[in-house]
Amino acid sequence: MTVMITVEAATDGRRHSAALVAGLVLSGLVVGAALLSLAWTPYDPTAINVAGRLAAPTGAHWFGTDAYGRDVFSQVLAGAQSALAVALAAVGVGLGCGVPLGLLAAGRRGWVEEVAMRGSDIVFAFPALITAVLIAALCGPGAIDAIAAIGLFNIPIFAKVTRAAALSVWARDYTLAARLAGKGAGRISLDHVLPNIAGLLLVQATIQLSLGIIADAGLSFVGLGTQAPRPSWGRMLADSQTLADLAPWLVLFPGLGVVAAVLGFNLLGEGLRAHLNPRRGA
Amino acid sequence: MLAALAGAPLAAARDSVTLGLQLEPPGLDPTAEASAAIPAVVFPTVFEGLVHLGVGGTVAPLLATDWTVAPDGLTYTFHLRAGVRFQDGADFDAETVKFSLERAITPASTNPQKVALSHIDHVEVVDALTAAIHLKAPYSNLLQVLGWPAAVMVSPASAAGNVTHPVGTGPYAVAAWQRGNAVTLARNPAYWGPAPHLASITYRFIADPAAATAALKAGDIQGFPAFPAPEAITALKADPRFTVDVAPSEGETLLALNNKRPPFDNVLVRRALSHAIDRQAVIQGAMFGYGAAIGSHYPPQNPGYVDLTGLYPHDVAKAKALLAEAGYPHGFTTTLRVLPLPYAKRAAEIIAAQLAEAGVTVVLEDVEWATWISQVYGRHDYDMTIVAHVEPMDYDIYGRDDYYFGYSNPAYKALLATLDATVDETRRLAVLGDIQRTLARDAVNVFLFEYPYFGVWDARLRDIWLPTPVQLVDLATARFDQAGPGAATAGGLSGAGGVAWLLGLAVAGAAALAAVKAGPRYVAGRLAVLLLTVLAASLTIFLVLQVIPGDPARVMMGMSADPAALAALRHQMGLDLPAPQRYLAWLAGLARGDFGLSYTYRVDVGTLMAERLAVTLPLTLYAVTLSTGLAVVLGVTAALGAVRGRTGRMVDSLLNGIAQLLIAVPNFWAGTVLALVFAAGLHWFAAGGFPGWDIGFWPALKALTLPAVALAAPQAGILARVLRGELVDQMGQDYIRTARAKGLSLRQALLRHALPNALVPALTILGMQFSFLLAGGVIIENVFFLPGLGRLVFQAVAQRDLIVVQGVTVSLVFAVVIVTFLVDLANAAVDPRLTGGRRP
Repeated sequence: MTVMITVEAATDGRRHSAALVAGLVLSGLVVGAALLSLAWTPYDPTAINVAGRLAAPTGAHWFGTDAYGRDVFSQVLAGAQSALAVALAAVGVGLGCGVPLGLLAAGRRGWVEEVAMRGSDIVFAFPALITAVLIAALCGPGAIDAIAAIGLFNIPIFAKVTRAAALSVWARDYTLAARLAGKGAGRISLDHVLPNIAGLLLVQATIQLSLGIIADAGLSFVGLGTQAPRPSWGRMLADSQTLADLAPWLVLFPGLGVVAAVLGFNLLGEGLRAHLNPRRGA
Repeated sequence: MLAALAGAPLAAARDSVTLGLQLEPPGLDPTAEASAAIPAVVFPTVFEGLVHLGVGGTVAPLLATDWTVAPDGLTYTFHLRAGVRFQDGADFDAETVKFSLERAITPASTNPQKVALSHIDHVEVVDALTAAIHLKAPYSNLLQVLGWPAAVMVSPASAAGNVTHPVGTGPYAVAAWQRGNAVTLARNPAYWGPAPHLASITYRFIADPAAATAALKAGDIQGFPAFPAPEAITALKADPRFTVDVAPSEGETLLALNNKRPPFDNVLVRRALSHAIDRQAVIQGAMFGYGAAIGSHYPPQNPGYVDLTGLYPHDVAKAKALLAEAGYPHGFTTTLRVLPLPYAKRAAEIIAAQLAEAGVTVVLEDVEWATWISQVYGRHDYDMTIVAHVEPMDYDIYGRDDYYFGYSNPAYKALLATLDATVDETRRLAVLGDIQRTLARDAVNVFLFEYPYFGVWDARLRDIWLPTPVQLVDLATARFDQAGPGAATAGGLSGAGGVAWLLGLAVAGAAALAAVKAGPRYVAGRLAVLLLTVLAASLTIFLVLQVIPGDPARVMMGMSADPAALAALRHQMGLDLPAPQRYLAWLAGLARGDFGLSYTYRVDVGTLMAERLAVTLPLTLYAVTLSTGLAVVLGVTAALGAVRGRTGRMVDSLLNGIAQLLIAVPNFWAGTVLALVFAAGLHWFAAGGFPGWDIGFWPALKALTLPAVALAAPQAGILARVLRGELVDQMGQDYIRTARAKGLSLRQALLRHALPNALVPALTILGMQFSFLLAGGVIIENVFFLPGLGRLVFQAVAQRDLIVVQGVTVSLVFAVVIVTFLVDLANAAVDPRLTGGRRP
């Protein structure tokens, strides 16, 4: 898993539009691969053909075949699907729990805020991988385990980002006006705060998506993520470890898949941030 | 040492050897636990039995010189070797035999072969060197059983301590055990028999098949008994540096079926499955062609084998017809529980695909060993599972009603009873044939293949291996071709205690300093929050571990747990106390700095963690140093470019791209590729492992270089981007303009003025990275098989060594909280405004 840090970048607009374009292209490629794999893959990614195993990349098998004779290209496509599914669901968990928590903390202040923020600190303090191992021991390894573990760490991130952004909205004149008009804290949070911080949350979601993909790859690398026979990039990499000198394509392509997805969503997030917040452009 | 680390073990022929083993034994007493990893280290090296099992199960004298069997088959009289002493000087005599065997069958015994040994009624001391074993009923397997590791001779004086400090009569004695890393055996100078050629043997524990292959190729180890990577065998055979032994083992690999649960209670369904599976394809795909197909639960190489592989040939149409006949014309859906073993995982995927052709939908479900033992083996809660049964002569398990197959056939039990009572060899073999035929006819399980046993050795290592039924490495005759000076064996890990003290002092010093700068109230408040966080974490982790399935005692007892023995062990481990009491006791221990006793290793958890910290902490510091250095170079160059002209901006964009790429590359992938290129390819570094700090600072640091680089790369990317952003912000500030007006160049202004200010936010990131790396290195520790903290906790969860998991987790939480605290204090000291209201 990787460290859960949001990366702030201050730069000029042109670079950001380049990042946005590169990000769109790469993430579009990954999302496209995932969508494509829903409808079509050159071969059944789980179809075993022991006779044709460990074939090098050819016209028939663009990325070669693995130790069971499965088509690596089909698996990489389907792997994009499971990586995205896990990362998206984990972001959903983070958004669904973290945003209300952050809004509540900013709207109520006082002990509610203190409890929410200290709770976040405790979750942060727990070693992420150990938490994933424990969740796996509790409810069995699988996509659910990965979603729960990654989602759990997304919650405090979204809570903190929401709270910080919401506090600055609360300081604005229009929220003051709304409050004078008799609106309650909950209404204001929904009517004024949330729309104003939606862009920021979108940026954060994109970045958490990329972190989720790398975390999912790490978890399935150690056998905790998506289970066989459903293809996953991390497990493909783990399975190929002993075959690395025999069949280097098994190491190469799933790794490139992870890199493309992570890089794509990171660049997209960075580009979006600059796009939504042009003040930061110098 | 650059070349030496990789080259030395091969270049210097010598009288010591380092061997790889896949699993580390939980303890070193073969009479206490079932783990096959225990005899792999101490039998017949440290411990010896009355007899020795040779090739094909032939019984040869060892501590007994000869024996007679009474005509009624009830009494075996053994004449013992004179002059044999245990390694602590105690005499071996008939009293020892009585003690060893009767100890194994007492109610409190946790002996893994208690069921087999319980055929013994009592042992009579005839004279000092003659012992008579009296049986309850005739038992023709007795001599074989006495050759098993569970029946070794132990001395009354030392038996209780054998788990950690084994004392036997064998040619070697345990010299050192670095938990999680290696066990070293040294020649026993007082051995009764011919002295072995090798003065010392080191077993290194390398769980990962890829790492095992890499370690062999890099020359870190000179042999690997029970080598776990069949996919590498062909390449290793072709390599002149190695000799490869492939032999059948006693491991019948089965697709085990729950005969009690529908639809597997129907013999037609079980036969259909046997027809649906193409064993040759399974052997090709899962074992890369190694391993012999079997048709029943019996090893093909043993006397009395009947070839039944033709009984259910691969025939999908026949399988479908049988399923239809059984009432499943459209097949059914079932679950296959898969152990985290390479053969099981590969076979599971192939079998799932083959059964799908016959209309049976198989859902694969990964289970850990601990969960498997309690869920599948203990509670019989499963449909299908794949496992190799490695115990010799274990066809008797099909006669146990409470066994996890759920098979119960009175005719089969009658056959077993006949076999026990038959002494005549020809008639015995005939009964064994009937046993095999009955199991095959009832298709109790789908019998897949006999697990092949691979031994990979340095080509100059001679006479090391014999294919005995108990799968042991016979080291008594092993030697290197050329004798030479002994090379250094792996050193111990020390100095961890000192590190802990130093860390404590640093924290105290920083707190005091901050108290002066930021005010004692602020510091006290932060300390209270810190303490509460750790307390909450300790309660959370304790509660989570209470509900995790898998009983630690059951995991330790393995596949032959006897309820009484299980209860005895649970009491020993204190697991029979109520949970709140255990939590409070553990907490009180923590307050005193006592982390408790590890369930599996039976040593202090604090010591265990200190040993691992001696790897993890330097690795983390190394990685943080590398990442900071790289980040400063990248960040400063990029920032300089950003504030300069057109070409500068291009440099900036390029470096930004590099940083983004570093962030996007998963560290385990980087680790694999680095190991491939720099260790297996170029031989610049060792493929992995940690030789210990004893061999010197630089060689030890070198062993950590590849993992540190892999860990550092993504962190460097993150840090570089933060630094660059901050630097560009700072360069726009007024004070920089002032400095520039005073005549400083851009570079000077940036390095002298902007950089120190930009480092403050970088410090926060650095703090988070440090704590992340401390626990997050586990994947890298696995790739490079480093005995670090992360791997300790990973193993501990798998073995349900809960007290270790608790201890490590709380310590890690503590470390994270302390680092956050220090960073907060540092920030507060720099900017006292932060101590005012809330944290921003």
